[in-house]
Amino acid sequence: MTEYQLEGKSLEWLLESATDAMIITDREGRIILVNPPIERLFGYPRQELIGKPLEILLPERFRRAHGVQRTDYFAQPHARTMGTGIELFGLRQDGSEFPVDVSLSPLKTEQGLLVMATIHDITRRKQAEEALRESEARMHAIFDTAVDGIVTIDESGIIERFNPAAERMFGYSEAEVTGKNVSLLMPSPYCEAHDAYLAHYLQTGEKKIIGIGREVVGLRKNGTTFPMDLAVGETRLGEHRMFTGTVRDISERKQAEEQRDRLLQELESANEELNSFGYVVSHDLKAPLRAIGSLADWLSTDYADKFDDEGKEHMRLLISRVRRMDGLIDGILQYSRVGRVKETTVAVDLNRLVQEVIDLLAPPPNITISVVNPLPTVMAEPTRIQQVLQNLLSNAIKYMDKPEGEIRIACGAEDKQWKFSVTDNGPGIELRHFDRIFQLFQTLAPRDRVESTGVGLALVKKIVEMYGGRIWVESRIGKGSTFFFTFPRTAATANTTEGKKA
Amino acid sequence: MKITNKPILLVEDDQVDVMTVMRALKEIHVTNPVVNLENGEETLNYLRDPKSEKPCIILLDLNMPIMNGIEFLQVVKHDDQLKRIPVVVLTTSEEQQDKVNSFNLGVAGYMAKPVDYRQFVEVMRTIDAYWTISEMPQ
Repeated sequence: MTEYQLEGKSLEWLLESATDAMIITDREGRIILVNPPIERLFGYPRQELIGKPLEILLPERFRRAHGVQRTDYFAQPHARTMGTGIELFGLRQDGSEFPVDVSLSPLKTEQGLLVMATIHDITRRKQAEEALRESEARMHAIFDTAVDGIVTIDESGIIERFNPAAERMFGYSEAEVTGKNVSLLMPSPYCEAHDAYLAHYLQTGEKKIIGIGREVVGLRKNGTTFPMDLAVGETRLGEHRMFTGTVRDISERKQAEEQRDRLLQELESANEELNSFGYVVSHDLKAPLRAIGSLADWLSTDYADKFDDEGKEHMRLLISRVRRMDGLIDGILQYSRVGRVKETTVAVDLNRLVQEVIDLLAPPPNITISVVNPLPTVMAEPTRIQQVLQNLLSNAIKYMDKPEGEIRIACGAEDKQWKFSVTDNGPGIELRHFDRIFQLFQTLAPRDRVESTGVGLALVKKIVEMYGGRIWVESRIGKGSTFFFTFPRTAATANTTEGKKA
Repeated sequence: MKITNKPILLVEDDQVDVMTVMRALKEIHVTNPVVNLENGEETLNYLRDPKSEKPCIILLDLNMPIMNGIEFLQVVKHDDQLKRIPVVVLTTSEEQQDKVNSFNLGVAGYMAKPVDYRQFVEVMRTIDAYWTISEMPQ
């Protein structure tokens, strides 16, 4: 092998000591020297390269042009990077390509002019650049296609970016607003205050919107305003800060909110009216009724000797109808009080409550009421849950038609609910009446036979449903009926089980 | 009533209700004179008139024109001369709020007027029995 010398030094020695991949060629482009990094980079053992044309290290498509360029270079040799502005690739022995940077240096040796090429594998840099380009493209896509408006400003409030959604929302193009103070998007008095706000934040770090977000008012180019949600994020870019505002036009939501508020208000006033209606009923309907009752009572007492039997019967009917109407008014009041007049919710032991209700109702000796299994403790308003049990039991007693009346109360757990049942062996109810019996003022027996206001079951239904439960009936004519109702098992009472002692 | 010569003040605007009370009192042999006044304002004027005989008890309706029962209580229970006169509310209202307001203003009792006259007599009998036994400051 020829010993090439450069200013007295062996070129081989020079290349061996370099960490970069280096290759030296002669004027004809023949490879004269390579160093170990070249072997590693291209995958050739050095002896397979020496003497070969340099172009074997280039992909096929570059080879012809390279020959021409090489000739040009030797005509005007100087140190430079190769192929400025175009992407260069190396070709490995295994046929794979990789991007490279190449710098060229002419070497004047005793044997003539040679060229040394330093080759850098820039695969990783290219990948990083690619990744960056991709990420930027993604960011752009997000920025451009976001449904929300995105506005970025610098520390002094100057708009830097303004996405298409923001353009649509405010009516400005990005070009119109970039470089302007963001306060032009705000109506008075916010626009005047914004510079001071931003300065205050930068000085004190006290946040009012940044990092929080709130509802503000936006100002369009045409001077109209609209309600919007604004969220501001902060980004540090080296020394500087950038603020990114995300805005959403909430006009429709606002309208919906206003409509909801209005409905709510109407509902409240309707409820208010119902309140006073109940009050009026209790006072104004009852006062004349009481007068009728008293006067009828006095007439039948004071003129007892002047009435014949028919007259006396009429007076008796008159007084009984006064009582019935009194019962109806009381029923309306009771019914309207459910859900309107709130009592404190407490833990109610139903075993004790059922016993109290039975004592209160004092069933006749031919009717037995039994509790099949121990009942739970529930969270409820005591009066309401008592009304439920009392009405169901008093109905079972009132309509009992068997010489040996049997009423059974049972309870079981079903999912998140208790399922209660009150079963009797009374007359039973026809299927077609199952809905009617839960309606207000609906009774199945003529009132003169069984005195009833028709409020009881409607009241029970209202209470059960107020607690999120359900009520229904199963019945067989002549055999009896079972009224079922469910009641939520709340966390506070979920651990009371059927096994609990009364 | 413990003291039989002092009047019973009946604050009531309904004529039949007034008759009912009178009749019931007669039936249970209460002999105190009954002074009927139609609203709270009239009653205050009566109580503050030095010529008026001070009552042993006030039977008060709540629902009245001009000055209703609660408004009347607000005045009378803040008057040092009048606040010890026992006031028994006699009303149709079973509204919780009326009961709360009445007892907050220190009423001596709250009776719902029954529609049934016989029951009404029993209510009056109970009021009379209680105020026959109860001691009162002079």
